[in-house]
Amino acid sequence: MKETPDIRPITTAMLVAPAACLMFGVFVLPFAYLLVLSFWSQTPGSLRMDTNLTLANYTRIVGDSYYLGGLWTTLWLSAVVTLICLILALPLARWIVLHAGRAKGLLIGLSILPLVCGALLPTLGLVNLLSPLGFINGGLKAMGLIQTSLPLLGNITGVTIGLVQAFLPLMLLPLITTIERIPADYEKAAMSLGARRTVVWRRVLLPLMMPGIVAGSLLVFCASLTAFVTPQILGQGKVVTFASLAYQQAALVLDWPFASALAMVMLLFLLLACVLGALVMRRLGRTV
Amino acid sequence: MTSRLSKTLMLVAVIAILAFLLAPILVLIFSAFDGGNIFRFPPRSYSLRWFEAAFNHSEYRSSLWVSTILGLIATFIAVTLASFAAFGLVRGRPAYRLGMEVLLLAPLTLPLVVWAIALLSIYAELGMNGTLPGLILAHVTITIPFAARIMIATFDEIDPNLEAAAKSLGASPFHVMRRVTLPLAMPGLLSSTAIAFLVSFNDVVVTTLIAGAGWITFPVRTFSRLRTEGIDPTTIAIGAMIVAFTIVVIVVGQRLFQLSRRF
Repeated sequence: MKETPDIRPITTAMLVAPAACLMFGVFVLPFAYLLVLSFWSQTPGSLRMDTNLTLANYTRIVGDSYYLGGLWTTLWLSAVVTLICLILALPLARWIVLHAGRAKGLLIGLSILPLVCGALLPTLGLVNLLSPLGFINGGLKAMGLIQTSLPLLGNITGVTIGLVQAFLPLMLLPLITTIERIPADYEKAAMSLGARRTVVWRRVLLPLMMPGIVAGSLLVFCASLTAFVTPQILGQGKVVTFASLAYQQAALVLDWPFASALAMVMLLFLLLACVLGALVMRRLGRTV
Repeated sequence: MTSRLSKTLMLVAVIAILAFLLAPILVLIFSAFDGGNIFRFPPRSYSLRWFEAAFNHSEYRSSLWVSTILGLIATFIAVTLASFAAFGLVRGRPAYRLGMEVLLLAPLTLPLVVWAIALLSIYAELGMNGTLPGLILAHVTITIPFAARIMIATFDEIDPNLEAAAKSLGASPFHVMRRVTLPLAMPGLLSSTAIAFLVSFNDVVVTTLIAGAGWITFPVRTFSRLRTEGIDPTTIAIGAMIVAFTIVVIVVGQRLFQLSRRF
């Protein structure tokens, strides 16, 4: 890699500027506006904004068990979804890299389907699979394993299944990238030196996969924390997540300042997750 | 455990996980061919009547146009801007490269619902609510991260010495761009175009909030009918067509320019 740039700084700036301006104007500024808005207030039932700065929106969230409950559900749900995604993605990613052969590209292509199909359509298929008269319950009943349908829709189980299905690719892709970079000899070398499988995994493979694991976990956690369509449809309004609370306040109640405060709390947890991820990576940088 | 047994177990696990990942999509496609009046899987009789109903539905036809045109315009702008920026960041190696990458990729991790709400309130002030330019800007913003990610990786892989060699042999900068850089970047450009279009075409969340009454896209129409009338077979037929279209783009993209390797 050459150290000196190939094009002049002024050219670089001109190339980068259009995209940078767009992202700043259309993406960053609205978030900044939201931050300010979250310190304003609004009398319920009217659209007049009171621009005196106040912490009322935030104290309302902290003081109300409904919102705290929603926050707790969302955090817990995101953590569980991240863990399940990791458990499912690890063997799949490893198998795709090591054993898929010529089918590898196609398999990776198919696994990003849930990502590019958008949240809505795969969820429709899931509604059918999980409903009381759906394929899973019908199949289990036909086999005589259950008498009454398992409740898989309109509860946290359904939402968890939907989020794992939707965000598994976000875990899979970074894992595949890191596993591809691990030389196959490392595992053989460790085995030939007498390490058992569990030891090889704990001491060799997992530490080398750590960057992918951290990156994937961050992506899945952030995506689950802010997911909207999937919990809405599979939870059937009975699972209260933080994104749906913010949407409710903004689009239905029209209390924009309070919706903004809810959004800011979500952002705070995203930021915390990113800082935690960065800390883990730095620690790894020193030890591995 | 013998290694043969463990290999078989592994294969079973992998197939199960893949099945879980793809089952909802397959279910959607198969149940669209059902002849009955409700959404069911597995289908009990086969017919194309719901596809017919979807095509005869003028609202759906017009929203298909909206989706396609919006997707094409947004993709063109997003891929162009992302490519310029990616080329500048990779070849110019500025000190702010990391910061710029974070800015360009931010919409992947930040909550789009929240952003759309904020954008809506700013658009309201500017009188841009429900306008096509407003909608295009929003779609460019959600597709830029995908395009930028692929283009940064693409330019990172192209050896700058090839450009330097062409230049030292007397090629003008424009010539280098057209005859050396562009052909080498072509697979990346096609990948990012395909992915950006699919992301724009399939978006529900942002479009629902920003579009207003005038520019209702295919997925938004589907989502709103879903909320008012529940799942009807026409919705399923349309969903199945969108998903099938997406699968075709990905499989063809994979064959032609190794889409997955660049994603």
